[in-house]
Amino acid sequence: MPQAIATFENVSYMYPRSSAPVLRDISLEIRKGEFLGLIGPNGAGKTTLCLAFNGIVPQFYGGRFFGSVNVAGLDTLEHPISTLARYVGIVLENPETQITATSVENEIAFALENLKVPREEIRARIPRVLEAVRLEGMERRHPQELSGGQKQRLAIAAMLAVRPSLLVLDEPTSQLDPVGAQEVFSTVQELNRELGVTIVMASHAAEELAECADRLVLLNAGQIVDEGPPAKLYTQVELMQRLHLRPPDVTRTFHYLREAGFSIPELPVTLDQGIAAIKPLATACRLQAPETQRVPAPRDGHPLVSVTHLTHTYENGTQALQDVSLDIHKGEYVLIAGQNGAGKSTLVRHFLRLLMPTAGEVRIDDVPTRDLSISTLARRVGYVAQNPDNQIFNTTVEKEIAFALRYLDTATDEIRARTERSLAAMGLLDARDRHPLSLPRGERARVVIAAILALEPEVVIFDEPTTGQDYQGARYILELTKQLHDAGKTVIVITHHLYLMAEYAERVIVMGKGILLRDAPIRVAFHETDLLASTYLVPPQAVQLAQAVSEATGMPLPCLTPQEVADALACHTIGRSV
Amino acid sequence: MLNNQPTGEERTVTYVGGATIDGAPIAYIVVLSAVCTALAFIPFSVIVALGGSFPLSQAIFPLVGWILGPIAGAVASGVGALVGVFVAPHTAGIPAVRVIGAVVASFVAGSMRHGTRRSWWWLPITVTGVICLALFGGRAMVQNGVGLWAVVAGAFIDWTALLLFALPTRTLVSKWISSPNPGLVATGLGLGTWIAAGMAHLVQGMITYFMYNWPEDVWVTLIPIIPVENLLRCVVGITIGTGVIAGLRAIGLVKPREAVY
Amino acid sequence: MSTLAFRTVERDSFFTRLDFRPKLFMIAVITTVAFVWEDPLMGGGLAAMVLLACLAVGVKPDYIRTVLLLMFPFGLILIFTQGFFSAALITTLTGLPPSAFHMLFVLPSTWPMIGGAGLSWEGMQYALNIIAKSLTMTMVIPLGVFTTDVDTMIVGLVKARIPYKIAFVFSSTLRFFPLLFARTQAIIEAQRLRGLAFEAMGPVKRLRVYARIVVPLILGALNESQMLDVVLQSRAFDGSPDRTYLHDSRLMAADYALFGLFGLFLLTAIIGYVVFGVGRFTGVLW
Repeated sequence: MPQAIATFENVSYMYPRSSAPVLRDISLEIRKGEFLGLIGPNGAGKTTLCLAFNGIVPQFYGGRFFGSVNVAGLDTLEHPISTLARYVGIVLENPETQITATSVENEIAFALENLKVPREEIRARIPRVLEAVRLEGMERRHPQELSGGQKQRLAIAAMLAVRPSLLVLDEPTSQLDPVGAQEVFSTVQELNRELGVTIVMASHAAEELAECADRLVLLNAGQIVDEGPPAKLYTQVELMQRLHLRPPDVTRTFHYLREAGFSIPELPVTLDQGIAAIKPLATACRLQAPETQRVPAPRDGHPLVSVTHLTHTYENGTQALQDVSLDIHKGEYVLIAGQNGAGKSTLVRHFLRLLMPTAGEVRIDDVPTRDLSISTLARRVGYVAQNPDNQIFNTTVEKEIAFALRYLDTATDEIRARTERSLAAMGLLDARDRHPLSLPRGERARVVIAAILALEPEVVIFDEPTTGQDYQGARYILELTKQLHDAGKTVIVITHHLYLMAEYAERVIVMGKGILLRDAPIRVAFHETDLLASTYLVPPQAVQLAQAVSEATGMPLPCLTPQEVADALACHTIGRSV
Repeated sequence: MLNNQPTGEERTVTYVGGATIDGAPIAYIVVLSAVCTALAFIPFSVIVALGGSFPLSQAIFPLVGWILGPIAGAVASGVGALVGVFVAPHTAGIPAVRVIGAVVASFVAGSMRHGTRRSWWWLPITVTGVICLALFGGRAMVQNGVGLWAVVAGAFIDWTALLLFALPTRTLVSKWISSPNPGLVATGLGLGTWIAAGMAHLVQGMITYFMYNWPEDVWVTLIPIIPVENLLRCVVGITIGTGVIAGLRAIGLVKPREAVY
Repeated sequence: MSTLAFRTVERDSFFTRLDFRPKLFMIAVITTVAFVWEDPLMGGGLAAMVLLACLAVGVKPDYIRTVLLLMFPFGLILIFTQGFFSAALITTLTGLPPSAFHMLFVLPSTWPMIGGAGLSWEGMQYALNIIAKSLTMTMVIPLGVFTTDVDTMIVGLVKARIPYKIAFVFSSTLRFFPLLFARTQAIIEAQRLRGLAFEAMGPVKRLRVYARIVVPLILGALNESQMLDVVLQSRAFDGSPDRTYLHDSRLMAADYALFGLFGLFLLTAIIGYVVFGVGRFTGVLW
């Protein structure tokens, strides 16, 4: 058994102003060379646990601390953080905040300079760590020029340069697109497998952790609920669901198959395992293709949003959109997907008149956008940006919701009525007098949505609403979009988390490098996996399993969700909702 | 309170905090400095007498002093203004003058804190202000033939700011800003901005006057304009300050040691 | 507008090879001398030399053009005010009575209020002196700063006894302000997307709405600063100057020579001004 690099013994911790402990009686051993995954819902204590490895908890925050944390033989309460920083490298969630220097090499050198490593040694380490994270030759680049994935890899490199015993990563991919997330996971996996770096990673990315991690620790309400290899934890599907966690799609699929009566001795946790297991099952079954559960909105009359040969070139010469044409009708639920830089936001900004076409035309309800002002359009097209904090301007929730209405000369009675409706719709009546920033992030997003709904727009656009959210938070927001759609609104969601959208969107517009690659119903678009791969989008595992089944049986199976795949294989149709 | 007693032994926690300047975390100083630079891109008004336009950052220099304290605030504003001079020359004016103004506004604002070991700071600041006013007004009257009435009227915001700072009104400002009553906070911010921005104008004006030597006719022209500009800064300062202070209290951000809110 | 970095010069030159410390000294000396001198010819000569030096070392022409364009209306105001109204000042400085001024033109006496007022050559000279001063004090800084790599600037500042923490704030501000600027744009956009039509608002209403942009900017920045603090701690940062530096800042012969040259220049200028009146305003342009 490899030696322990770090140990937690009966650790409990309370922040200075909190009334409840964030960590409770945590006892844990991290072994040299292992890849440990930390999973748990938001608020479980994962970040606090991560920060306890290098003494930031509790030395930086204060509070009450019980038990002991030992890293590389050092008690984290008896050595200053600057000493512990030699042994523990930490990479946090936000790629922007953790880069403080004006060039890549300075970023790597920063910790080494603080630790008084001699200049020659710093110079020697820089190219080595850049090579380890595949950023060779970028020494002089400004961090602003790097993509999200590159920034996180730089943060990893900066920590690697210190040669820590342990690398701790707290949700390093939650704010990245699929390309960036893949880069980070593959880098970290390489560091672990080839260089033997010990890794502790907190993450909601179940599919990736299932592939990479040697062991998982499940946290809830500050306590360890269970630990073991991914095959042990992720297969406890009911436990995962009870804690509002999402096991890999492939695991859920086989869980449903087991519930349907199939004999599945071991639930697979990786896609390869799943594909290997599903093929024999599929050939033994009479398959039933899924019923189309969502009825697309009727397409009569002129479209609500009409885009005709739209081209947009930015001032710096970047052609962000090339000859895009599409129509969106009233009552549709549309997913716009694509990697960063594909043109999604540029497209949507034309609907809002934040950008004007270089060529082509955009019409809202048959009126060209150039004939409408942004403020007029805002009453018809609501936009919820990714960062809710940029959209909060007032000191109470109620004022925030009424904010725009006051400036639009709405009658006082009407302002009051609409504000009440929005508060009620978003479940914010109890929070009306609270400062929006005092609310948790998820509720802040609801405040912004409520504020936009108060304008009673016909179209609501959600730009990356699930980024940075855990599974429960993401589902909550998407359920809101479903409610809006059911109420007759036209909903447009931009996201690259395709696995979340299978139950919501009717239609998918796939963008890639400014070109509209595909505009099709979701069942068609999600199954064009080659097309999705060409724009670095990852279809849900359920889709990939369904394709494996199709390949084995020769029967097309346009399933989107684990439940649909399981239902398709069950040799009789069961009307089970997803 | 812990409901179930932890099994581990309670440890003594030595609260370390992070690197600070005068009790304000360096991270706070960095971000507020960057905010000042970002706002240097946005012109708000034109100040003829100082030879430049008034960027939106000018409206927050006193607030930075109230949030961070005099020294940390002065560093944040000064560095932010300095970087702003290079990246946003369209609002810069004379670089050194812009930076000095930022430093003075934040320093004076932060120094208004009442009941501390630094209460005596008001005296050297006041003396400096008096010297600046004497040099400013003296040069105008002696060398440039500007009449006394024009100097008194033209330097209205300067001597009123100095007077209000020298008097106990400065401690009233800090008491009001730290009050839970939003109305008092707004009043404190308005009055405090008048004082801090006025003092900054005094120092900047003294320096630039030695360069520009405006004749009496210019003084007379500027008499109605300068107070209106300062009032503008106060209005903006109140709007921004009330929102920021309410938000800081709601977030529960750890207050810097010398903060006045 | 380039928000990514200083507009550092692209070509290598004598200036770019100098350490930052003599450049700081140069900035201080030239600013002081420009401040003191009142002679338009000498001030103008100094301004011209600084401007030429900027062009020679590669300070971007669009930057210089922006500064000149911004100063142009101000220069016109100066010429107008000093030319028409600075009689008392000119008399004090030169001893010349207003009747001895050389008038470039005089407004017809029939004009109400300003009839008979004249633009004097001496007043215009004084205005040119102020313009030259302002230009020098504005352009000398990019001459020193844009010719210095940011990395060596930070080390140079520390070696010039600027506290390391302040140098760190400076370099971090350079890193973060583009983010905050982008966020400012996002916030403005968010307000417009709530239906706020800035164009249709009166000035007071617009002022108040516009000022609200700053509130989420500051609060968001301070909120994130807590995590920045954690990051700095994790990198063993304690603000102490007792650390090593990747980049170096060393004074070479050329740096010492520049110190000497500008030291001599300052001394000569001050003595010349005080003792011999060199650089004083005489009203006589020769």
